[in-house]
Amino acid sequence: MLEISLKKKLKGFEVGVELRLEEELLVLFGPSGAGKTMILKMISGIAAPDEGRVVSGGEVLFDSAKGVDLPVRKRKVGYLFQDYALFPHMTVEENIAYGIEGPKGTAVKKVAELLSLMRLTGLEKRYPHELSGGQKQRTALARTLAAEPGVLLLDEPFSALDYQVREKLRADLLNIHRLYPITTVLVTHDLEEAFMLGRKIAVINNGSIEQSGTREDVFYRPRTRNVARFMGVRNIFAGIVSGLEDSSVLIDTPDIGVIKAPRPQSGALTAGQEVSFCIRPEEILVIRPDRVLGKVQDNILECGITGAIGKGSTHILYLETGQGRTPLKVELPNFVVRKLELAVGRRVKVSLKRENIWVIA
Amino acid sequence: MDFFPLYLTIKVSFFATVLAIGAGLLLAWVMAKREFWGKGLLDVVIMQPLVIPPTVLGYYLLALFGRSGWLGSLLDSLGVEIVFTWKGAVLAAFVSSLPLFVKPARAALEGVGSDLENAARLLGKTEWQVIRTITLPLAWRGLLAGAVMAFARATGEFGATLMVAGNIPGVTQTLPIAIYDAVQAGDSSSANVLVLIITLFSFSVLFVAGKIGRQRL
Repeated sequence: MLEISLKKKLKGFEVGVELRLEEELLVLFGPSGAGKTMILKMISGIAAPDEGRVVSGGEVLFDSAKGVDLPVRKRKVGYLFQDYALFPHMTVEENIAYGIEGPKGTAVKKVAELLSLMRLTGLEKRYPHELSGGQKQRTALARTLAAEPGVLLLDEPFSALDYQVREKLRADLLNIHRLYPITTVLVTHDLEEAFMLGRKIAVINNGSIEQSGTREDVFYRPRTRNVARFMGVRNIFAGIVSGLEDSSVLIDTPDIGVIKAPRPQSGALTAGQEVSFCIRPEEILVIRPDRVLGKVQDNILECGITGAIGKGSTHILYLETGQGRTPLKVELPNFVVRKLELAVGRRVKVSLKRENIWVIA
Repeated sequence: MDFFPLYLTIKVSFFATVLAIGAGLLLAWVMAKREFWGKGLLDVVIMQPLVIPPTVLGYYLLALFGRSGWLGSLLDSLGVEIVFTWKGAVLAAFVSSLPLFVKPARAALEGVGSDLENAARLLGKTEWQVIRTITLPLAWRGLLAGAVMAFARATGEFGATLMVAGNIPGVTQTLPIAIYDAVQAGDSSSANVLVLIITLFSFSVLFVAGKIGRQRL
């Protein structure tokens, strides 16, 4: 269990966060320079907060009100640095054994165990400069786990790795977390990584938490336009409430006309009020030209394709309804783009299904 | 041929280097690892002997350590005499060689990134353990290279030594001063031998220092 409440003034902005997590993995997600690393440094004691409290597993590590400030070495915090900070003058096994306390026999056994868990067997006599990026990262993680930390802090642990290695090591990390269910905070600015690793995600912007919750909450139900933007929801529109129904709200937008969206459960909406809503680019449906529109469908828009960008296995299409200036972005698998012959200059019908729309209150 | 100047130079340089390492390690440490008000000024003061004329440096030392100087009178009351003794030569050599140790030592200590030291602290190590197992093993080449440079500078000290310790044959006459004396007296054979000794020594010092500095893990 980890409970933090920290404040620190930095150049240009202030970090102020409150978090509480059990033996789980929390992803701190946010743009570069949002203060994510500073939060980890304050938890570990490397950086001093101006005020606040850090409690790990019932033990108070820091409490400005009571004057408690445990030295770094007594905090039992495991920290994986972005560039791993392996000791260059020690071999892999010396690095891993460095933080182990107790008799030599247990240390040897523990090192052997971690070597095999981290797929480092055979590399024990190598020096850090003789290792690949992935091996360095695994050595650093093994060294951290060897000291049996109460909390694990991971600072952009995959940012220095190739794409393929990254995929593999992310899966490894989840496995290791299942084996060693330590309270873990992982910092990243990579959306894919945040989604893959964090059941819980806290979105940091300008030093404070804009939203925290389950990944589905944050991903599909952003509370602010910023969170929506960071989460890759590329269609965010502003409009005016033009009608209210039991479970729906009609929003009149200058860009794509009147849109029917689900009525938010919290927060009373009144007609004439300004609201924003969003829909993820991959949640917009393209309607085949030959399809008969049976039941009444909401939010069908007829658009012209004004741009198309390939993104590997998918395409992003830019659609304009001819009304406003903000285009609608739709992400489609390449095969759909090919099959429907969607190209710049052609027209297409899309549906913004009501349940795929999220109103930002 | 009188070998006293050679003996005295080695003795003076040895003590000067020991002092330079002691004081220099502390200064280099503070400069590398701490932030404080007046750090820039302290750096300028430490580096002064590199640029200030040695005679000026000697003059300052005389003013400070002479019998009427405030440090000198203090030491005098303790029965320690500095000026015009071999200790004066040590003092002059120490002050002039200090920056040559501090500069590389500071760079070496700064070279051990704070992440590495923090990583060790996070793994439960005390400050002393961090220094012993991380900082020193990674910085010792720079420290040793600095010590070698400081020793070499101490052996060549002339101006400040002349001001503080004087030129008393058999008491404070170091090698560089003996060379000057020999040349002045027209004794070129003595001068040649002494010059050869000091040249060979300087060459090997730079060679060794270069080797130490270059080798990396």
